[in-house]
Amino acid sequence: MLAGILLALIAGSFVALQNIFNSKVNQHTGSWSTTTLVLGMGFIASLIISLIVEGKGTFALQNMQPWYWISGMIGVGVVICLVQGVKLLGPTFAISIVMTSQLAFALLWDSMGWLGLEKVPFNFNQFLGVLVIVGGIIVFKFGGKAKGTEAAQAPVLGRTGTQE
Amino acid sequence: MRGIIFAFLGGACITLQGVANARISQDIGTWQAATITQLTGFLMALLILLFVRDGKKDGFKKVKPLYLLGGSFGAIVIFTEVTAIQMMGVTYTISALLIAQLFLTFLIDVRGWFGVKKLKLRVPHFIGIGMMIAGVVIMKF
Repeated sequence: MLAGILLALIAGSFVALQNIFNSKVNQHTGSWSTTTLVLGMGFIASLIISLIVEGKGTFALQNMQPWYWISGMIGVGVVICLVQGVKLLGPTFAISIVMTSQLAFALLWDSMGWLGLEKVPFNFNQFLGVLVIVGGIIVFKFGGKAKGTEAAQAPVLGRTGTQE
Repeated sequence: MRGIIFAFLGGACITLQGVANARISQDIGTWQAATITQLTGFLMALLILLFVRDGKKDGFKKVKPLYLLGGSFGAIVIFTEVTAIQMMGVTYTISALLIAQLFLTFLIDVRGWFGVKKLKLRVPHFIGIGMMIAGVVIMKF
């Protein structure tokens, strides 16, 4: 459990770093230019690490199911939704909803065990915990916002070129 | 309303992405999953870019080279997120991930690292972070 928490914290820290870096790229290019670069870099890095760690095993893909090949396109959906969401609502409001939705779907996924992941039975404490976290996100994002600093709150979201 | 729907679907897609990566990793290995999903995402984004052409031609040249490498963090993000999901489920993983993400972003904003505009510390920032951590603790009870 502790190892899992630690890994998730590392993941979140790198998402934060990546967001800052990506937003720097995005300032000079567009969302799709940035997204293409970001995913291309991610692909190259993953391939190199895979070759180091797994060697030839990198290409042992006999267990591939057809949908695995297109799952990467979910990321494209993320970009479209976030760019539109931020454009229509502003970053503070949009990102608060995005994060709330992330948590709600996480809870749903655990309790349904869809896609053959191990099912984590719904328990009330998890639900309550998610509610408190969502409350925290809202207080943090809206309460922490000084007048006219909307832009300063923006670079918070993931892996893509979506920071406006 | 349309904005809310987009943001809501965006969040759903982000979680779905983590879950799909975790599922694919079971069958072909985590680094392979990271490689393939980012390859197909890259190809799709490239295809869209060819139609949209939203970047100025020499835009990338104006960016500090270090920042162009940010995408490579995706490898680490996918590996650690997938492993965490496999160890403790999606809810704990996304919760801890979001807290770290918000906290580090906040720290960078307050310190003004990487040349970002400095953000003033405000009480609600601390209350918010405190509530988020409390939320994870509540889950464990």
